[in-house]
Amino acid sequence: MAAPFTRVYRPLWRIITTTTSNGRVRNVSYTRQQWSAQNVKTAGAAASPWALHGAVCVQRLPVVSQDRSPIEEKFMELMQQMELERSLLADHELKLLDDAARMSRKQEEDYDSDEEEDYKDKEIVTAQDLEDVWEQKLKEFQPAPRTQGVNQKDVSSSERCLADSLILLVKKDIGSQKLWLLPQIQWQMGETLRQTAERALASLPGADLKATFLGNAPCGFYKYKYPKDIQKEGTVGAKVFFFKAVLSSHKHLPLEKNSFAWVKKDELQDFLKPEYLKQVRRFIMAL
Amino acid sequence: MPLGVLLTNRQYRSMPTHGIGRYRHLLPKALPKKKKDKIQAKQIKAPTATEFGVLNVCVSGYDLTLVEHYSQYIHNLCSHLDIKVDECYALPTKSTEVMVMQEQGTKMYLDGVLKTHERVVQISEMKATLFPILAEVLLKNQPEGVQLCIKQHTEADFQARFKTRPELQGLIAKINN
Repeated sequence: MAAPFTRVYRPLWRIITTTTSNGRVRNVSYTRQQWSAQNVKTAGAAASPWALHGAVCVQRLPVVSQDRSPIEEKFMELMQQMELERSLLADHELKLLDDAARMSRKQEEDYDSDEEEDYKDKEIVTAQDLEDVWEQKLKEFQPAPRTQGVNQKDVSSSERCLADSLILLVKKDIGSQKLWLLPQIQWQMGETLRQTAERALASLPGADLKATFLGNAPCGFYKYKYPKDIQKEGTVGAKVFFFKAVLSSHKHLPLEKNSFAWVKKDELQDFLKPEYLKQVRRFIMAL
Repeated sequence: MPLGVLLTNRQYRSMPTHGIGRYRHLLPKALPKKKKDKIQAKQIKAPTATEFGVLNVCVSGYDLTLVEHYSQYIHNLCSHLDIKVDECYALPTKSTEVMVMQEQGTKMYLDGVLKTHERVVQISEMKATLFPILAEVLLKNQPEGVQLCIKQHTEADFQARFKTRPELQGLIAKINN
């Protein structure tokens, strides 16, 4: 579980011990930026040749539990049967038996109702009547459907596959190509990387997604070099830091089909480039 | 005759088997039983830049088996990930009576009783880098019908576990007045 962190973990510890904490800093990414800012001051105008980007991995958590496999079903039935056989009778069941015994005693000829004990109110409502009333109520109850009727293959809807967690991908043009990626945006001076990630989420065109960020520490990292023709002096490539967020509002605004996608972990390989996929896969859990 | 008195050689203390049956010195020191002290609130650690202080993971719901199993799962997960678990306690069950209004009339009758169970797992010194992973795992494994809440531990939370003593409070008020 610490695997996705080994890259980011070590440099973070170094920063925390060297820089003095700024007041209310819980923000590990903040001190990181401080470190690079200090570097800039000491080394003159030599900025890092890597452009920083913040990206967000928004997940829609599963809404219903997963369906059981056949073995699990059989085992569950077996366990329920065993539990039933080992259990004792409940109060309600005892009352049912009492009522049945009383009925049979009533049918006999030498029945004397004065001999009965604690018999006052049970004449009116027997346990069987109560049970019938409860059964009626149960039949009237309609549980919500498990699938919501959305096509399972329709990648642009966030209602598909309610039993799995889905990740948001956007189609962006990087350089000359259109690529599917996690929403990312360039880091600006003076903001923390987590704020960059929040900005990346807010700047998605058309989508009004509210998400809760799980922490200040990034969960993954990817770096790529720009192709030779774009490489200006100083910038070699870009480093992307991923932050995890959980979708909180469930508003389903219709997102444009070709630019957004909600995908499961095993569908990621159809959308992402292999190198990118390798890094992203490390921090996405398919539980 | 005086010889017998003089020849007092108490050989038994120098015998090799002297003290062969002694065991009292091997038992743990039993301190005198002290009276129960008033339960003090533990010092709540303050969060630092890289670690959270004391967090309360509250699991609540109507179904007791689900709530109990989920809290046990959280406890086991934390101990497996080497996260220090201070305490794991249950808050008293709250009963909610569901009253339904009758159709022809103004009287409400009792439809049923819902019991809300709550379990708290208290974690301390949790690394800030590990927290997002733990939170994600907990959220993904949350069963249906169970609410999860992670919040910081406060003095008020600690005091809420105690029962109020109205007679004592009345007497104290009388003394003060």
